Amino acid sequence: MNYLFHILVMIGIYVILTQSLNLVMGYTGLLSVCHAAFYGIGAYASTLLMTGWGVNFFVALPVAVIVSVLLSFVVSIPSLRLKGDYFVLATLGFQAIIFGIMYNWVSFTRGPYGIPGIPIPTLFGFAFDSPASYTLLSLGLAALVVTFIYLITSSQFGRVLKAIREDEIATQALGRNTVLFKTTAFALGAGIAAIAGSLYAGYVRYIDPTSFTVAESLFLVTILAIGGSGNIQGPVVGTIILVLLPEVLRFLRIPDTIAPNIRMMLYALALILVVIYRPRGIAGEYGFE
Amino acid sequence: MLLQLLANGLCAGALYAIVALGFGLIYRTTGVFHFAHGAVYTVAAYLLYLFGATMGVPTIGAVVIALIGAAVAGVLSEVVVYRPIARRISSPLATLIGSFGIYLFTVNTIALIFGNETKVLRPGVDITFSFGPIVLTRFQLLAFLAFVAVFVGFLLFKRTQLGRLLLAFADNPMLVEVLGWNTSTLRIGVFAAGSILAGIAASLSALDVGMDPYVGMSALLMSAVAVIVGGVKVFEGAIVGGILLGIVQSLVVWRLSARWMDVFTFIILVLFLLLRPEGLLGKAVRLEEAR
Amino acid sequence: MDLSKRCEDVPTLEVRNLTRFFGGVAAVKDVSIAFPPKRITALIGPNGAGKTTLFNLICGYIAPTRGEILLGHRSLRGLKPWQIARLGIGRLFQDVRVFGKLTALENVLVAFPNQVGERFWEPVVRRAQTLKMQRQNVERAMALLELVCLADRANTTAENLSYGQQKLLAIARLLAMDAKILLLDEPASGVHPAVLETVMNLMTSLAKQGRTVVFIEHNISVVLEVAHWVYVLDDGEVVAFGLPDEVIHDRVTREVYLGV
Repeated sequence: MNYLFHILVMIGIYVILTQSLNLVMGYTGLLSVCHAAFYGIGAYASTLLMTGWGVNFFVALPVAVIVSVLLSFVVSIPSLRLKGDYFVLATLGFQAIIFGIMYNWVSFTRGPYGIPGIPIPTLFGFAFDSPASYTLLSLGLAALVVTFIYLITSSQFGRVLKAIREDEIATQALGRNTVLFKTTAFALGAGIAAIAGSLYAGYVRYIDPTSFTVAESLFLVTILAIGGSGNIQGPVVGTIILVLLPEVLRFLRIPDTIAPNIRMMLYALALILVVIYRPRGIAGEYGFE
Repeated sequence: MLLQLLANGLCAGALYAIVALGFGLIYRTTGVFHFAHGAVYTVAAYLLYLFGATMGVPTIGAVVIALIGAAVAGVLSEVVVYRPIARRISSPLATLIGSFGIYLFTVNTIALIFGNETKVLRPGVDITFSFGPIVLTRFQLLAFLAFVAVFVGFLLFKRTQLGRLLLAFADNPMLVEVLGWNTSTLRIGVFAAGSILAGIAASLSALDVGMDPYVGMSALLMSAVAVIVGGVKVFEGAIVGGILLGIVQSLVVWRLSARWMDVFTFIILVLFLLLRPEGLLGKAVRLEEAR
Repeated sequence: MDLSKRCEDVPTLEVRNLTRFFGGVAAVKDVSIAFPPKRITALIGPNGAGKTTLFNLICGYIAPTRGEILLGHRSLRGLKPWQIARLGIGRLFQDVRVFGKLTALENVLVAFPNQVGERFWEPVVRRAQTLKMQRQNVERAMALLELVCLADRANTTAENLSYGQQKLLAIARLLAMDAKILLLDEPASGVHPAVLETVMNLMTSLAKQGRTVVFIEHNISVVLEVAHWVYVLDDGEVVAFGLPDEVIHDRVTREVYLGV
């Protein structure tokens, strides 16, 4: 039963992550490979507040979101004027830089040693210390995030983002400040990723930089590409595949030593097949065309 | 001291230059951001291990096999993945994602077969040579010599008909096709050549310090940085970028520390992307012409 | 949309001595044209004459090398394309540029200016108003689609429409934008005669309302039918202008088009 709760918690965290990247990639059409950096910034910001200053989780979380949003401007404002490959490369560069800072600024982040002893989130005396209660927290936050994203994407804001994705020049010709919209979408994506980061930190109660690498960013892109992006369903499908596949492998008695490799091989194969034969993924709307 | 650092940087940069030239050749000629170049690099290294260490084939033979394997891997990428994508979708981002898929698949297959640990081909301390105040290991010397050979070879190649054809193809693929050349064969040739270059760098590095399944990623990232810094539109840009990168990294390690070398490299990448995207050798784009 | 309602106070769009060099070549050379309201102006000339470049200069996608672009008394130089669009200048592109994966309805919906729900917090914080405006806009959008005979295609994705239908959709988008000055790049090319009829009627009605209509065309019969005034461009310069009948039958125009 506890194991089921664990899966549900991870689904909650990854739904938040994939939906936030979806806002940037699927709706606005920006291939960002620095999303794990904002995931990490959220985790580190809330962790440092909780362990260093004894701040409550539910106060640390919004602060972490703000920090992530502010740092997103450092990335987006210079990079958004770059086109195509160059934008992707710039986000890759920033991801590597942010990881490098997390890993090497040992006096601030404890670098590769990580930060242990993250306190259990408590709210008005109630501690989320059981698997069931954390599941509630995780899925609850995920539901809030999905609702928020649904509301904003099914209205004019979302329509303008999709228009920018389809044709930025034509969108400008309709009187919209496309740079402002792109920056906003990127910032929202970064802020929401920070929520996932805080949730993750409060759950595993130890973080280190290796969870927030270039590989993780690329992995998030892979999940969105396979599950689909540009609508609400795609990322959910992607997340479910992501979380269930290891279970399927375990069921097939694939040994734990090689399971991660087999998993990545399957994702890679799925990715290649999806790009060639079904660019919009399993349940998505947008396929980089 | 400084001379030694420069020499170290030059030899490290020599390898960067070779693999970056391969990457740049492919990128400039076909427009494909060949992320899987890193996979090709890894394939070469492990083929060298498989034949050279496990099967006991003499080093030269193993290297040749590694280069052939690299070429095959590169060509397969084009034929099995890039071409089908290009037939259906025109967006370069789709090719980039497909390329990443190739990288992921290949590297994880290798990790599955050979394991994640670092493998060393040549245990023990290496033979060194002294050139005045500078001391170079056998492999540093080999790297430098290989670089010179590749550089000279490339300059000569540019003068041949095939070389000129490739330059024309890079500028205007449609025109070359209209003139009657078979562009798909040309593309295959480019992937083969670029992959062999990756294989040369991979073999030298593998013989020197060994390998693990993830060396390809850093080779690829260094290639991308070198090509951007040196300039995409000029093939020599990759060479200049690679050498400079090696030297700068060497100096950074001396001045700051080895830990910050990666961060520094990527700060350079971002600065060039934002401030001088055409690279050092590229012609400055007039502000009015850029939109 | 009520096409009989008058559109008041549309400022005159004017370019003065407008010049734009690309490298050593002048794509637009010392062009001075005024586009007053209520008038349909046609720009004709061979390919490469600078007509689309002129539109791009006015809309702010490229910057002039020399010269002025004025809307009323206000200079448009240095303004970004979205700012110029907000001032009421609408553009139909030569390659149409509809939003492929959005439905026809959504294409029109996205064009209405100043919507509640456009700022990201509004759909959450001002939910009722957002929904109300959305409902109203859907009605207005459907009316516009009716006008261009696309109402039955409202839920088709734009990429699945025919070229002619996409062109009509783009025009509906311009109407939704309530553009005071319409710059149409080849509105008649590649469309079915029935569609062409609709387009020409729309242009005439819009001008009668008080708006400014400027269009680039190669189809001379369309020019003769709807234009009030014609400019002939060649090699970036204005080589002739005047009433359509006179200009089209003028020797200079024939030379320019046929190289006679």
